[in-house]
Amino acid sequence: MAVVLGKTENPRLPKKESTWELIKKNKSIYLFISPFYILFIIFGLFPIVFSLYLSLQSWDGLDTMKFVGLRNFSLLMTDGEFWQSVGNTFIIWIESTVPMLLLALIIAFLLNAAFVKLRGFWRFTFFLPNVTSVVATTVLFGSFFSTKFGVLNWVLGKLGFGSIDWLNNNGWLQVAIAIMIIWRWTGYNAIVYLAGLQAVPEELYEAAKIDGASTTQIFFRITVPMMRPIILFTVILSTIGGMQIFTEPQILTGGTGGPGLGGMTMVLYLYNQAFSSHLFGYSSAIAWVLFLIIIVFSLLNSVLVRRLSNH
Amino acid sequence: MHLAGVRMNHLYKQYGGNDAPAVKDFHLEVKDKEFLILVGPSGCGKSTTLRMVAGLEDMTDGELYIGDRQVNNVAPKDRDIAMVFQNYALYPHMSVFQNMAFGLKLRKVPKHDIEERVRSAAKILDIENLLDRKPKALSGGQRQRVALGRAIVREPQVFLMDEPLSNLDAKLRVQMRTEISKLHKRLETTLIYVTHDQTEAMTMADRIVVMKDGVIQQVDTPKEVYDHPANIFVAGFIGSPAMNFLNGELVEENGDIFFRAPSLNLALSKNKQAVLRERGISRGDVVVGIRPENILDAAVGAYGSGEPISSHIDVVELMGSEMYLHGSIGGQSITARVTARAELKADITAPLILDTSKLHLFRTDNGEAIF
Repeated sequence: MAVVLGKTENPRLPKKESTWELIKKNKSIYLFISPFYILFIIFGLFPIVFSLYLSLQSWDGLDTMKFVGLRNFSLLMTDGEFWQSVGNTFIIWIESTVPMLLLALIIAFLLNAAFVKLRGFWRFTFFLPNVTSVVATTVLFGSFFSTKFGVLNWVLGKLGFGSIDWLNNNGWLQVAIAIMIIWRWTGYNAIVYLAGLQAVPEELYEAAKIDGASTTQIFFRITVPMMRPIILFTVILSTIGGMQIFTEPQILTGGTGGPGLGGMTMVLYLYNQAFSSHLFGYSSAIAWVLFLIIIVFSLLNSVLVRRLSNH
Repeated sequence: MHLAGVRMNHLYKQYGGNDAPAVKDFHLEVKDKEFLILVGPSGCGKSTTLRMVAGLEDMTDGELYIGDRQVNNVAPKDRDIAMVFQNYALYPHMSVFQNMAFGLKLRKVPKHDIEERVRSAAKILDIENLLDRKPKALSGGQRQRVALGRAIVREPQVFLMDEPLSNLDAKLRVQMRTEISKLHKRLETTLIYVTHDQTEAMTMADRIVVMKDGVIQQVDTPKEVYDHPANIFVAGFIGSPAMNFLNGELVEENGDIFFRAPSLNLALSKNKQAVLRERGISRGDVVVGIRPENILDAAVGAYGSGEPISSHIDVVELMGSEMYLHGSIGGQSITARVTARAELKADITAPLILDTSKLHLFRTDNGEAIF
């Protein structure tokens, strides 16, 4: 039997298509994704680019723009109120994110446990706060926290504690805002963690049980390390969200940030500068500094979480 | 060192909502240092039984003793057992060393001892160079060894293995079989092993437990189970290719008992006839069982065990030096295992001889073996 060797004579090389030809070939796909991109360019990309341009101008929205270079930024560096708002934002962030994520992790772990009944009901209940209107709940919380007639102070009084001046005292105002954030987002993060937990194979827990781990040891040595990517995800998300807290402080304090400006967050300050003081150039500069702060802080956070879960 | 056998007294496992128990009246004593294998088809209750011994499943009824201790209500970690899982269950975020050391660390074993035990286990399993790697950087076979290593360092009284070779490719499985056998001899520890693969059971076990539907069918050495299966199920499950079963009836003629089926008339030996008469069975429907290797190629020489029977061959599988002939006798399908011959091919009629000295007979009502 003859042995036939494969041979190619004059092989036909595939013809290279130009980019335009490729686009034309796939034009229906481009048509499908174009609505989003068109809207994004108009309402997303353009404002972002324009605000960078604006940050170098001085403009009240009506008059002509005046080019001022980096003056907005240098003014910002010495603006005491701005830096106070940065501090407020960070304090509120710590007071809300840390307890919230811990609580979410524990809730998720409990929800995942075999002995829990009515799992669907619990998931629904925990997630409910997240789908409510921020404005509506903040208004309600406002009356909750009211100094003289609020429910919270009434309960505290019954328990033997004194009233807390929630809405006027700087520190307590921040706690109040943090409480609202925890109330709204714990369930959301718990559901995210629950999804992560269910990706941990049951056999791993069994092997750990046989190895001799107690439930707490399993939680800290197996569950949490395996959830590292998801924990990272929620930390970054809550960082980005937490740095931009606006609705709660605005409604709670009527836009003032409270008597001592304890509830003045960065975005609230930005908003006031833009729409109360009509300083669009200045507020654009604030927006970009805010952007930088969020990026730096998010990166720091992700490094920290990675480091912590590596022990 | 005191004896570390396992005594399983009348174990039951009933899952609420199911009619039939998953494990029914499992009563067995595993001897110290024995390599016992639970084998059976999916859903037969072998894994459930193993998990009850491990403490990962509650027992509905019965008593369990590991060594001299009753461990019914003892937590898995205090039963002095170690388990190897089918999917290895290695901790993905820990290195191989940490995986193997985890159990010891939890028990507060001194660091120096942990180091020593892990390294010596790694040496036995030839994974010393993998100690710093994470499980995802290992092949299936390597992961399996790490899982074994994790069990070995615990120096338990009993090893439990739940289908540890099922996820490996065929060649690796053959290799690991010998390694596990060698490991068992070296460690001299009781080993209870679960598999659905009867080859693993036959090649490795000191004793096999064949299970079906939660009930033990037979417990004995591999050779005994192979040569003297207790019922049709065991006969058909153990041995590859599977035993041939022919339906027919016993007929008495001129003082001798014959087995009769379409195109088949088998004379039974005097011994076998005596057994039948003793049991009071000399006529009626029965099932004859004969293993493929006991159906012989008549053309290669007569064995004096019967007349050649004409059989139509449908398919021939060449295994190398052997051939499996799949055909039929009188309409009932059979498989014969013969030495390979070029003349044997599909769609021919070949004369085969059934070696009646190796015949098995089964009752049709309950499948029990008569011999």
